[in-house]
Parts: sequence; C-alpha cells; structure tokens
Amino acid sequence: MTALLELDSVQAGYGPTSVLHGVSLSVPAGGVVALLGANGAGKTTTLRAITGGVRWNGDIRFEGRSLRRMSTEEIVRRGIAHVPEGRGICTELTVDENLKLGSHLRRDGAEVRKDYDRVFEYFPVLKDRRRLSASTLSGGEQQMLALARALLMKPRLMLLDEPSLGLAPIVVRSIFQIIRSINEASGVAVLLVEQNARIALELSSTAYVLEVGRVAVHGDSAELQGNESVRRSYLGY
Amino acid sequence: MQEFLQQVVSGLAVGGIFASLALALVLIYNAMGLVNFAQGEMAMLATFVAYALVNRGMSYWIAFPVALVLAFGGGIVIQRIVIRPVERAPILTLVIITLGLATLLNGLAGFVFGYVPRSFPSPFSAQSADVLGVFVSYRDLGVIAMCGLVLLAVYLLLQRTTVGLTMRAAAHHPEASRLLGVQVSWMLGLGWGLASAVGAVSGIMVAPILLLEPNMMQSIIIYAFAAAVLGGIESPLGAVVGGLVVGVTINLAGAYLPFVGGDLQLAVGLAIIIAVLIIRPNGLFGRAAVRRV
Repeated sequence: MTALLELDSVQAGYGPTSVLHGVSLSVPAGGVVALLGANGAGKTTTLRAITGGVRWNGDIRFEGRSLRRMSTEEIVRRGIAHVPEGRGICTELTVDENLKLGSHLRRDGAEVRKDYDRVFEYFPVLKDRRRLSASTLSGGEQQMLALARALLMKPRLMLLDEPSLGLAPIVVRSIFQIIRSINEASGVAVLLVEQNARIALELSSTAYVLEVGRVAVHGDSAELQGNESVRRSYLGY
Repeated sequence: MQEFLQQVVSGLAVGGIFASLALALVLIYNAMGLVNFAQGEMAMLATFVAYALVNRGMSYWIAFPVALVLAFGGGIVIQRIVIRPVERAPILTLVIITLGLATLLNGLAGFVFGYVPRSFPSPFSAQSADVLGVFVSYRDLGVIAMCGLVLLAVYLLLQRTTVGLTMRAAAHHPEASRLLGVQVSWMLGLGWGLASAVGAVSGIMVAPILLLEPNMMQSIIIYAFAAAVLGGIESPLGAVVGGLVVGVTINLAGAYLPFVGGDLQLAVGLAIIIAVLIIRPNGLFGRAAVRRV
C-alpha cells in the first residue's frame, strides 16, 4: 500500500533545543497508526512538525508531495485535520460557530449538509447544544466538538493529540469507539498520539513507540501488545 | 423637560460619533490586545480624503463611501507594512509604534493640507424637526442614523458572515484557527481595514461640527477611549453603549453643570475613564480576566 503520510528522518525542536532526532514513520491511506511514548518523548512535536507548527529538517510527504516550506494553512487545506493538545476549541464562540469553522473552506454545500447530519449522529449531544457557548461544554463534550469539527473539514488524515486526556474512562471508551466508526465509515486515516497505550493499541493497526526523539520500537499493534518486554519497558503496563 | 430631551438627542448624536471610533479601537484591541493610538489620526486622514473628493466636485454621497473604501484599504496597508513586521514584539513596542504612526499621520496631513481649519459639508439640513414636541435638528438625526447604520453593518458582518466568523476566531484563538485553515495574518489585516473604515465614519461625521484640521480628532479619541473603557474594551456592544453614554453625559454636564460648560467637557470624559478604572475595571460589558495558573 502506498503511504498517505511519510516522515523521513525528521529532526525538529524549539530554538536551540532539539526534540526530534530523526523520526521516520508512515501512515497508510485509511489506516490507524498509534504514536506512543512517555512524556517529553516528542509525540506532540511530531504532530506539530507535520502541520508546520515547528521548524524541521528531513522530509515530510503527504500524498507524495513534500510539505517543506508550506504554511500551516496550506497544509491543512490539503486535507490534514489536526486536533491539537488541549483540543483547540474556540471558547468565545458557540458550538455551531466552532463547527462552521471546520467546514468554512468547503464549497460542496450538499455534501457539507450530509456531513453535519453524520456528525450529529455520532455526537447527538452537540446537536442539542448548538447555540450554546463552547465554554459551557464539559471536557468530554469539548473533545467531541473537536472531533466533529475535524470531520467537517473532510480530511484524508486526522492527527489526534491525546484525545483521552483528562476524561473519565467511560467517556474515553465511547470516544475511541466513535473514532473507530469514523475511520471505518469514511476511510479517513488517523495518526493517534496517546499516553494510554492499552486503548491506543486496541484501536490501531500499527504503532510506533518514541523514546527521547527517536523511534525505539515499531510494528504491528497486536504484536506489540502481546510482547511482554516491549510492554514493560516502553508502555508501562 | 423639552430642553433636557433635546440635549439627550444631541448627546446621542455625538455619542454615535464616539461609538464609531470606540468600536474601531475595540476591533483592534480584540484582534491583537493593542490599543491603537493612531486610530483618531487615521480617521482624520480619511476625512481629509473625503474633503478632497468633495472639493473636486464629487457628490457627498459618493465621496463618503469612496472615502470609507480607501480608509479600509489604507488600514490593510498599514497593518501589512507597519504592524506585521513587529507583530510578535512586546505590546509596549507596538504601543510606541502606534504613537509614532499617529505623529506621522498628523504631520503628513499638516504637510499636505495645512493647519488652517476648513469647513466640511454636512449633507443634512440645519433645520429642526418637531418630534412629539421636542425640536431635534436634522443634523443630529442624520448623524445618529449614519452611525447606527454603520454599527449595524459591522455587527452583521462579524456575527452573520463566514468572514466575520473567521475574523473573530483568528482574533481570539490564532493557533487553533490556523489549524482550521484560517489565514490568520490576513484576518488581522482585514480587522485593521475594518477598524480604519469604521473610525473614518466618526471623522466624517464630526468634521462638520468641529471644522477639519489635522488635530481635529485629538479630543474625540479621548472620548472614544472613555467609551471603550466604559464598555469594557473587549466588547463591541460595550463600545457602542459606552459611546452613547459618554456622549449624553458630556452634553448634559455641559448644559446643566455651570462649572463644566463647554470648557470642561473633555475633563468629564477623562473623569469617566478614571472612575471606570477605579470602580469597575472590566467596564459594563467586559468579563473579569480569569487566568488559570
């Protein structure tokens, strides 16, 4: 299968501090890939490099074309939806306005309306709260809003940064189930950053484990899950 | 009672003028947390442009929108050339730059048009109308109507259009907006253009009253600061309400407090700023800044 997204020995950092020391990974079209690792391993920085939020060396290709020197806006317009750490909800705006920001670049009106219906099927609670300020939503609902908004961008790849952060286990379960249905129904590929390795390995087909800015282990998610020593030394469960 | 109501109506007219300039200040404050000290001078320059157009024989009702469009373009150019290179600089740097810009625009207007006050035409008749026993001048009514229209247009643009939505998102959440494909830097440019055009309305409305000269807006900007602070500096609605309250207040104070008269009205404006900052620093419509640490 040809890769939708490829990272080729990417180095990146903030000012003089280097965070990634040559990360290579690939996400196949329609696949779900997990990016695991401890705090500070470089997971978030990897996602930020992909959407141009930090300077990098090496190469990042999306659908075969290098993203070098592209602005965040251009990269996003090519079909990458990035749900950042902290979810990036515009709390000054209403739920509806946040959703509209997701679809504001699209010109296929009829498809957009269908996508709204689909999104409200996944997240009925958002439909009830459309007119409320996004700041009134709970953490789980804000995560749902962030996912819904990303879906309305009609991306070919979604970058999800710790969707489980700060949520109750039962909410995490339901959100991961929805991510799985979205992936199966629309074929959008997912690159998932998670601290919660167990649930991320269940969802993904391939996984990469980062350790201080390098890929320490990678492979089939089911195999990693079954490999006792990998689990103990890198995933901590 | 009748005289009181007449004072209120003419207070609303000057209030509309303050409200327009205050709204311009709020638009830029919201977009980048910056008080634009050059806003009044930008409005003054736009008014001179309108003056030059009318002087060349253009009808007032064509010159007015043309001047607003030029002010809009000028605002974008200022953001692109002067502000964008220092966008990430500390706020104090930006404040100094807007002060320098104010001086520059003031000198430029003086150089091109001179410092002799010129009379600026008003499209409204100087007569008065009898509205339910209260005599109100057509000029006041006209100014109220024009400012009301412009403020309504800005409201509709920001609240009901996609461009307005992306402008608001870019102002409050630049990083998140970028990830949604919003061109944040251009939205800032549009914000400056919009603020410049709205401010120009206040200049063009006030010029027939004050006479047009390069220092015309220097008292108006103080009232606009008072209005913006009273409204809570972040709230467009607050700026409008604040403008009207300040306009009516200084008019009534001038008419009924013998020691204020016409001379101390500016002091009333400054007193409002100080009083608001002491008693209610977040203004009428502002929210208390809550920061998680």
